[in-house]
Amino acid sequence: MSKARLTLRPSMQGYVLLAPALIVYLLFAVYPMIDVIRMSFSSWNGLSPQAKFVGLANYRAIMTQDPVFWGALWNTLIWTTTAVIVPNLIAFGVALALNQNIPGRSGLRIVFYLPVIIASIAVATIWKWMYDPFFGLFNGLLTSWGLTGWIMDWLGDKKIALWSVFVAHVWQSVGFSMVLFLAGLQSVSTTLIEAARIDGAGRWGVFRYVTLPALVPTMTVVFVLSLINSLKAFDIVYGMTGGGPAQSTQMLAMWAYTQSMQLGVFGRGAAVSVVLLLITLVVVIPYMRWMFKREDMGR
Amino acid sequence: MKVFSQAFRPVGSNKVDPVLVALWIAFILFAIIWITPFLFIVFTSLKSNSTVMGSSAFSPPTELAFGNFAAAWARGNFSTTAFNGIVITFIKVPLGLFVSAMAAYALAKVPMRINKVLFALFVFGTMLPFQVMLAPIFRQVNAFGLINTYPGIILPYLAFGIPYQVFILYGFFSTVPKELSEAARIDGASHFTIFRRIFLPVSLPVLSALLILDFVATWNEFAMALVILQDPRMWTLPLGLMNFQSQFQSDYGQLNAAIIMTVLPAAIVYLMFQRYFVSGLTSGAVKE
Repeated sequence: MSKARLTLRPSMQGYVLLAPALIVYLLFAVYPMIDVIRMSFSSWNGLSPQAKFVGLANYRAIMTQDPVFWGALWNTLIWTTTAVIVPNLIAFGVALALNQNIPGRSGLRIVFYLPVIIASIAVATIWKWMYDPFFGLFNGLLTSWGLTGWIMDWLGDKKIALWSVFVAHVWQSVGFSMVLFLAGLQSVSTTLIEAARIDGAGRWGVFRYVTLPALVPTMTVVFVLSLINSLKAFDIVYGMTGGGPAQSTQMLAMWAYTQSMQLGVFGRGAAVSVVLLLITLVVVIPYMRWMFKREDMGR
Repeated sequence: MKVFSQAFRPVGSNKVDPVLVALWIAFILFAIIWITPFLFIVFTSLKSNSTVMGSSAFSPPTELAFGNFAAAWARGNFSTTAFNGIVITFIKVPLGLFVSAMAAYALAKVPMRINKVLFALFVFGTMLPFQVMLAPIFRQVNAFGLINTYPGIILPYLAFGIPYQVFILYGFFSTVPKELSEAARIDGASHFTIFRRIFLPVSLPVLSALLILDFVATWNEFAMALVILQDPRMWTLPLGLMNFQSQFQSDYGQLNAAIIMTVLPAAIVYLMFQRYFVSGLTSGAVKE
């Protein structure tokens, strides 16, 4: 056999293996991120070949002349806060239940996980239809129970529309956190639990002193993932209300899209994006530091 | 029943726990609420439009109107959207996993000067919300002349899938003992060979978990497709569903049939592989 074939130094082989992933990632994810920052300092309508540098004008405009921005910011913040608490509490409860020795465990796990794999746009369609004021499930149930006073235009009333959308989001997102919690629970050592029981710990004692401390890393991961997921809320809102009625369900991610891609004011849209990006970084940077510290300690 | 006589016993106990039985009953009720939307969709998809308007929302259908499915398929242009979804998903998912696995192997097992920096760069990408960057992504894809093309959507999909996959696979490859690759290197194997012959085969469980996850995510993706695939002939299923919803809003039977047809492939893939899913993910994501 001939030995005359091309051999690369080991480190070069590494770069060759890395190249395809790295190039695509830099071109279509990292570069757009830099571009959105640059775009936020310029005025561009999407058509003219040249964008004009305008400094902080876009930021000033979204904060002072834009009637929607502050509402969208508020909606995003309140949505994110609630979306971190409510679905995760439910998911934690469900995971605890499913971690017990109860009949129908695997079937129940599918029930709670199924909404996760449904396209958000389909979830939006399903729930929009259930909220239908005339033919939907909710008002139908209320009518049949005689609670006609509770009948509402769930998505048409600007006081409650955001929370109607939120309920759909909860239904969709519980399963995801549940799987992570279940994985965490299954890694809790059973010998430790048995030892605690022999030492006389009750149900609460085992939970408080064995299960809960062991779950701290899982909780952190779930917390950050759901925080990031809810900051970028887009599909479900777009599909259910499109931001209405009267912008009462508008979110930053969707408002950035609307400004750029529909209203053609790319600079302002980019400025909204950068605001959202900054909020995301506030969460991401401490999390990454925590994660790398943990990785190093593990070695 | 045997299942029941064995159940309700907590770890380290051999007695049935009455509190657990009570909690279980409450939990079952909660689960029923959780399935209601599914029942509702299935029921509605099988009702003719006049039945939907005339009967109560949660009554089961009396005469099964299977015609809704065929009608929705034709009106919603499912042959086009399903075909596009299949092309995009079947190219993107295996390709993405392959390049991510190569990169993760290089970062985890090939000593290079920039391992740590690049790994951090990839981890950063897992947190990056692409919803924020729809306009610049559009501009970038447009600069390559790829709007309304398969590569035009596949490349950004790859770019935003790679970080997470590299992260998980890196975690997995790091746990594979050094001796395995070092022995092969002493025997004169290149990193390409070691990756293909040793590391790719041992990572099959993790790869299949990522495959399911990525299949579902790609199949369901909406926001990016909305921006890049503007020509209805290039639409994927979620875009088709959105259009269906706004155009045929009053035909609830057909609308719900359309929802079911959009959701079904992802549901089947998940149900078929869900065993691997949890075990594969936990070996990477929440490793202890």
